[in-house]
Amino acid sequence: MKQNKELLLAKSELVLKEAENQGASQAQAAISLIRMDLTRLANNIVDQNVSEQHARVRALLYFGQKSGAVEFEVFEDSDIKRVVEKAVSLARISPENKDFQSLPVKKEYPSSFDLGGLVCEATNDTTPELRAEYAILAIDTAHDVDTRIEAVAGFIQNISTERVVANSLGVECYEMRTMAATQLTIMARDGSEDSAGWSGDARRDIGDLRVENVARVAAEKAATGFGMKDLSPGEYEVILEPAAASGLLFYTTMLGFGARRHQEFMSYLRDRIGEQVFSEKLTMSDNALNQRLVGASLFDDEGVPHQKVDLIDKGVVKNLVYDTMTATKDGVESTGNHAKWWGPAEPIARHIIADEGKSSIDDMVSETKKGVLVTHFHYMNPVNPTQGVLTALTRDGTWFVENGEVKHPLRTLRFTDAIPRFFKDIDLVGKYSELLEQPPIGLIPGIKLPSFRFSGSSKE
Amino acid sequence: MKDFAEYALDTCRNLGASYADIRIMTVKDEDISVKLGNISILELRESIGFGIRCLADGGLGFAGSYDISKEELHRIAELAVRIAKSSGSTRKKGIEFVDVKPITDNYTTPFKKDPFKIPIEEKVDLLVNVDRRLGEYNPDIIKFTKADYRSHSEDKIFSSTEGAYITQRIVFCGGGFTCMAMSPGSPPQVRSYPGSFRGDFSTSGYEFFESKKLLENVDHVADEAIALTTAKQCPTEKATVLLDGHQLMLQIHESCGHPTELDRVLGTEAAYAGTSFMTVDKLNSLQYGSEHVTIVADSTNPGGLGTFGYDDEGVKAKRVELIKNGLFVGYQSSRETAALIGLEESSGGMRADNPQKLPLIRMVNVNLEPTDWYRNEIIEDTKNGILMSTNKSWSIDDKRVNFQFGTEIAWEIIDGEIGQILKNPTYTGITPEFWGSMDASSKDDWRVWGTPNCGKGQPPQVMYVGHGCGTARFHNVRVGIMEGK
Repeated sequence: MKQNKELLLAKSELVLKEAENQGASQAQAAISLIRMDLTRLANNIVDQNVSEQHARVRALLYFGQKSGAVEFEVFEDSDIKRVVEKAVSLARISPENKDFQSLPVKKEYPSSFDLGGLVCEATNDTTPELRAEYAILAIDTAHDVDTRIEAVAGFIQNISTERVVANSLGVECYEMRTMAATQLTIMARDGSEDSAGWSGDARRDIGDLRVENVARVAAEKAATGFGMKDLSPGEYEVILEPAAASGLLFYTTMLGFGARRHQEFMSYLRDRIGEQVFSEKLTMSDNALNQRLVGASLFDDEGVPHQKVDLIDKGVVKNLVYDTMTATKDGVESTGNHAKWWGPAEPIARHIIADEGKSSIDDMVSETKKGVLVTHFHYMNPVNPTQGVLTALTRDGTWFVENGEVKHPLRTLRFTDAIPRFFKDIDLVGKYSELLEQPPIGLIPGIKLPSFRFSGSSKE
Repeated sequence: MKDFAEYALDTCRNLGASYADIRIMTVKDEDISVKLGNISILELRESIGFGIRCLADGGLGFAGSYDISKEELHRIAELAVRIAKSSGSTRKKGIEFVDVKPITDNYTTPFKKDPFKIPIEEKVDLLVNVDRRLGEYNPDIIKFTKADYRSHSEDKIFSSTEGAYITQRIVFCGGGFTCMAMSPGSPPQVRSYPGSFRGDFSTSGYEFFESKKLLENVDHVADEAIALTTAKQCPTEKATVLLDGHQLMLQIHESCGHPTELDRVLGTEAAYAGTSFMTVDKLNSLQYGSEHVTIVADSTNPGGLGTFGYDDEGVKAKRVELIKNGLFVGYQSSRETAALIGLEESSGGMRADNPQKLPLIRMVNVNLEPTDWYRNEIIEDTKNGILMSTNKSWSIDDKRVNFQFGTEIAWEIIDGEIGQILKNPTYTGITPEFWGSMDASSKDDWRVWGTPNCGKGQPPQVMYVGHGCGTARFHNVRVGIMEGK
């Protein structure tokens, strides 16, 4: 398998050299090569099937506190020089950013981190034919579960990414990663009633992808989803399967633990560091260095080494995640959480891990007097981010649980509730699933809460 | 580039493709953001590349690359055909397209001032001044300020084995500002102008951004943010609700735009965005809304963010009725999905956000037609109601039935007059019940709003779409949904 470390480093060196020649006081180059193949299923067939190959060069130049950033999809040296020239022209007309002090300086990367372990040749070499085989396996497995299975939808995907981040202060890092993933939504029909089930898995090695297992789990959920009833809005116990808990915990970190949101008064945890906000049964960290994670990684988007950041310790808010800009403002060190996506860069926890407990989902059901078992949520969004209020809908498998038994499936429910309220008390924390999730989720177990507020239901 | 396109199409044909098209695109973005007195984004982005879509052995294949060289073109054409054949192996029936007349044409979205030719300094200066004025307005209470601008252009060539060769230039720009006010013991309150989430956008030129007069609107927006910190909480009750443009456009987007996308209806998006309650058996029979509700998909609206000459299948821009006097009468479709339900032609809504993305059915300008009301008449005609403005949050289920929205601000309406401000307004409903309760929509403040943030597909794509609307009134709406109380 060909890796392009030397080539990418040479391209980044070209960016930095050109920037220096143009008089930039500091410069950063981020260069990536990405191949992404995705086979999409719908109605028991391969419906969409695509392959993309990208080369992205990003140059960030500073002239004192003036900066310009350019990101072009190019790879030739002459084009890269053009990128730098554009960044120079932007920086020269830019107002000063008084918060900027410096790009990150060079730090040691953890020597125990196995970069080679991030790459799987089989994933990198995945063919459309192999993905079609997996698609047929998913379709056949689902239909074998129950004759009422109507349609298999979802995707099988493989991604290979190589990236370099380098800056004029000596930061220079390279990594290659591969990932394969599948998610399946399987629909069933019994007479006039439709039901659906969902499951997913992600692996570094496509050979480890549990397509058959995922298809079976999703199909079984769909097949047991008939006889749906409505549930009146109100406060119920809730059993969150790992995917449902992941959705809530992602927003818990996204809205609460990024330093930028604290500095801009937008975090629901502002002025609450050190406070017991959550249940003592909740301990959570961000740790891209945990190589069990499919999204394990050595450094962030400005080349700062990742590290384990304790976010919540037995319910107490411990630390925020920082990048260089926000860390400078607070007089601390970056935690290696710089994330550059569309819009402004900000520090985000993208590898979240919640400590597991000992309970199974069955244990949680048996401990429930009157509650709801949720597979996962759909279209989650903050209603009021500064109060941590979220809303979303249940999807692809929701059941009513009473006196320790699953009674019947439920039609779609909407919840509207505040993170600090519903995570204030936790009854039980589960074990990790055998199926893995894609970043930003690392390892999240199922969780049972004593109180969760459902605010509406879907009635056609 | 014509030779380049021909070479790609010939390669696909020679490898057994029954149909092929190629899009060669350059996408440019200019992004500027000034926040809390500092420049936070000053960035140019550019994607160049091509994507080849083809039919072979009954399946659809797509592959793309950034590398516009003959060698890469050949490799990607081979890959696209190979992917199509492997896709076809899972199908019992091959994909068919409805006919489209092959066109040779050149189109550019009309504008007076090319936003990319306006000096960046001019845009930066305006944003700096807006941000500064917000920050200086009342520093004890206004704690967060931000002003944004974005220009976007797409130069694309579409060529197909059916003989189409279309060149297009799509240009849009826009922006806005936001501020956040805090007073002791009160949660922060946000106000934005002319819309939230970075403002309002149009395929008009820079003259559109100028017409928004950001600087002139700072004071009253800041005043509203400050007033919200001490305002009365939106009540929890069933109420008559008036939605104005920026909120109504998202209501149309989520509860009519998405559920009338035929790919969702037919299950293509089942695993991600979801399906739709507006199934094919309900076409021409479902009473979607009241007799006052007429909604169209129109890619010809001047200035609309969903305006173009041709879609990414070479289908000419057009106007299609989705809801007529409350009755569900049409879909947004593609050549493939139109064929699947026996339509004669595509609605012309296939677009991709990048040369390397597969075109999907995307909203164009999905508009609520005005009825014979003026906005003031609707307000004066309302005895007790709540006027909500500027979207703050949104969520809707996978079939697009149960929705919940929040807005930045609301006002009481009592005896036909606008009264005090209400904070934290939210409302929830069921799509056909909600639209069934609409009895008025205004004509004097009708215009096409633009949102460049519509997500769909796997791999994900973000599309720019438009929504024409004025102010509309709905009855018996559940409002004040906070924390499930």
